[in-house]
Amino acid sequence: MKILTILPIFLIAISLYGFGQTKISGAILDESGNPLPGANVYIENTYDGTSTNPSGGFEFVSNERGKQNIIVDFIGFESTSSEIHLAGNPILLSLKLKEKFNQLDAVNISAGTFEAGDKKKSIALTPIDMVTTPSAAGDIYGAIQALPGTTTVGESGKLYVKGGDSRESKTFIDGTLVYAPYSSSPPNQAVRGRFNPFMFSGTMFSTGGYSAEYGQALSGVLALKTNEVPVEDQLNLSIMSVGVGAAGTKTYEKSSVSASLNYYNLKPYMQLAPQNLNWNAEPESVNGEVSYRLKTAKLGLLKLYTSVSRSNMSLAQANQGATDSHENFNLVNDNVFVNTSWIGELNNNWILSTGLSYTNNIDYVTLDTAKYNEYLKGGHAKAMISKKVTDKIKIKFGTELFSKQFENEFLAPNDSIYNGFESNMATAFAETDIYASEKFVTRIGARFEYSNYLKRFNFSPRISTAYKFSKTSQVSLAYGWFFQDAADEYLLYTNKLDFERADHYTLNYQYEKNQRIIRSELFYKGYSNLVKFTDAPFYTAEGYNNKGNGYAYGFDLFFRDNKTIKNGEYWISYSYIDAEKNYLDFPETSAPKYSSKHNFTLVYKHWIPGMRSQIAASYKYASPRVYNNPNSSIFNGEQTMAYQTFDMSWSYLFCQSIIFYASASNLPGFKQHFGYNYSDTPNDEGVYAATPLVPGAKRFFILGCFITLSRKGDINQLDKIN
Amino acid sequence: MKKTLLITVALFIAVVLTAGNEKYYQKMGETLGQYATCKSVDDFQNLANQFNRISKMETAEWLPLYYEAHCYIIMSFIEQDVIKKDGFLDVAETAINKMIELQPNEAEVYALQAFFYTGRLVVDPASRGQKYGPMSGQAIGRSMAIDPTNPRARLMKLQNDLGTAHFFGNDVTPYYAQAEALLASWDKFEPKSQIHPVWGKDQVVGIVNSKK
Repeated sequence: MKILTILPIFLIAISLYGFGQTKISGAILDESGNPLPGANVYIENTYDGTSTNPSGGFEFVSNERGKQNIIVDFIGFESTSSEIHLAGNPILLSLKLKEKFNQLDAVNISAGTFEAGDKKKSIALTPIDMVTTPSAAGDIYGAIQALPGTTTVGESGKLYVKGGDSRESKTFIDGTLVYAPYSSSPPNQAVRGRFNPFMFSGTMFSTGGYSAEYGQALSGVLALKTNEVPVEDQLNLSIMSVGVGAAGTKTYEKSSVSASLNYYNLKPYMQLAPQNLNWNAEPESVNGEVSYRLKTAKLGLLKLYTSVSRSNMSLAQANQGATDSHENFNLVNDNVFVNTSWIGELNNNWILSTGLSYTNNIDYVTLDTAKYNEYLKGGHAKAMISKKVTDKIKIKFGTELFSKQFENEFLAPNDSIYNGFESNMATAFAETDIYASEKFVTRIGARFEYSNYLKRFNFSPRISTAYKFSKTSQVSLAYGWFFQDAADEYLLYTNKLDFERADHYTLNYQYEKNQRIIRSELFYKGYSNLVKFTDAPFYTAEGYNNKGNGYAYGFDLFFRDNKTIKNGEYWISYSYIDAEKNYLDFPETSAPKYSSKHNFTLVYKHWIPGMRSQIAASYKYASPRVYNNPNSSIFNGEQTMAYQTFDMSWSYLFCQSIIFYASASNLPGFKQHFGYNYSDTPNDEGVYAATPLVPGAKRFFILGCFITLSRKGDINQLDKIN
Repeated sequence: MKKTLLITVALFIAVVLTAGNEKYYQKMGETLGQYATCKSVDDFQNLANQFNRISKMETAEWLPLYYEAHCYIIMSFIEQDVIKKDGFLDVAETAINKMIELQPNEAEVYALQAFFYTGRLVVDPASRGQKYGPMSGQAIGRSMAIDPTNPRARLMKLQNDLGTAHFFGNDVTPYYAQAEALLASWDKFEPKSQIHPVWGKDQVVGIVNSKK
């Protein structure tokens, strides 16, 4: 009986520990036969295994018997499993591993696109560039204007992309549209973006051929991604020569709340520094923001952001054409912006992204006794589902609703005019990215839009592709149709206009090696259906048609080097843009007044460890632009002077929580002059009187101090000041 | 007879179980012994592979994952190629996430997570400091909340603080005093088992010596 109980133990022991050992040896290679050292080779569900040696070889012994699976794992390669039969005879194995498909290493569509993000390896644009480029002076649009494809228009400050007007470029935050991305300013004075660049951790700037996800933009798209859930409580204070601000962040297990309040007043600064403008009340603004973040599941993230701001200013400006009389220009701007987004995982690995944005922007302008108010309300709702069907195929589908209400009123003592329109648009888009291999990708998409105001629809196909020759260089092509509503100020008077259209052709070559990048791009853009004025009065529907057209072509060069100079990095950007349009009131085809042929930017940043300082400098040149002098018989026959600026900034980390910042724009004081504004009607001598367009000041200086108090580990710096 | 059979079966199960457990301890012991001789990326790759094989056998144990991640973090520090560094850290991240799921209440796992975030940070301090500095600090805070005496959490914190003080040219004397105190108390910390983490003393010695 005892034997009976011991026997099974003995038998099992034999099977477990066996007597015969099997030697397994061989080599692990990649697909082209190169050895793979460091691969993990083992028998499944056992401790038996080893790593390959420098020549890819391996050898180990196993006490297992019978059928077993041998597994090989290695970083960057697909694991393999093969069945072997262990019977004591040596086994010789040579296995080839297939390189794993990795989208981060794979070719990416670079035509027209500059991307910056957390894990993006491209050094073309980094998130920190948005705040450290001196010509930007802390403005997102200023930073973007240091990239190729853009033209700096000094009297505007807005984004002008590849021969397109500023309204042809749109800004999206977390996927949804920002209807009023710029601050309000007096006519012909540069505006800034409304948003603090520190809010964002990812940027995608496209100057052509962009995804079918984006519409209603003929020239460019700036898609900004806001920060995720912050991990620590913070209190930020900023004290600047132009204003003060405070922001606080409170974090919880899965969520966070932030709030900030900023007040800017340029009066103290403008009274110290000489100004070209005659201010009655210097620009003043107050802005409050609240944001909330909630992690809803493993992948789920809810973001809410609201900002409310008011700004006002008043200046005495020369009466059109007159040198001796002034009129008072008052501007009050109210802006409310709400942006929410939710991203989450559905069944079967579908990812759902939804977003909702709301803008309410009002400009109250008073010109002496006349009032001119402009009301813009806009909403954008978007839902998109996407999925990685396989490692190599991604698909996405989405639908959107845009709703816009635009109203204008003119109130004079004995006259008043009101105009307004409401436009709703529904869209649908679909897109797929297909990787034939890590080297070759094609993106095919299409977008459909229907406007209930215009009672028209459009369909825009988009296709782009990229091919990677080697680890360092790739070429990318993009083609697509792009549609946009006519400008609001014309839609006020008519809805009998078709969408304006641009066709993009972009060819991009990129070489990136060792922290250096060269990009060059050739582009052509054909415009059609542009709004054109007729002889009928501007306030009638007959005053407009879609017979305008135009084109833009040119090339970009971009070189960035973060390697050659220790602690230094620089980039050079050049764009040649030849644009001509025949639209609006143009009697003939001509270059539009915002377009410069040659655009050059040089940015250099140097980190000085001993001084814990970053010193940065940038130089910008834009060749003369045309403008029209109604006193001359040649349309757009005059030229502005070339635009030049040299800007510097200095950031000094005084201690972990305090940063001092100083910046100066146009330090050498290059003369900047943007042509002339002419009166609408000739004076008694039959001359249209001219007013020069100059910047508000020759130079602009900012001094600031930024204090961040946070909890780190167990130290609580917040408690120290309480 | 029935009773005997039951006892035998129970005994058998116990034997097999201890055998399995012994094998785990034995394998871990052998592998941990190789740490001392590892110098290059290849050495640590080999070691990481061994821990990986153990972790696949012992799916309920967090320590093999801990050491596998630890090897990859060290590899990221030795490696010069930026893309490879991130590749190693990606593997470390997967192991760390699995480990935290298995053992969310252990001070050691967050101390290692802090080390991992530091690894991510040093790949590109200028653009990653903002994000990973606080994350590393948060992980240290979690670790110390569980066990304020954990020497590796204290080491991570000391390294962060010292780095910051050096960078800002602040007084570093208190940190060297902390380093000496940490070194003096290092051996008083009792690892929970023979195979629990003990590393870090050399780094503290290094800090203490660097004072001169």
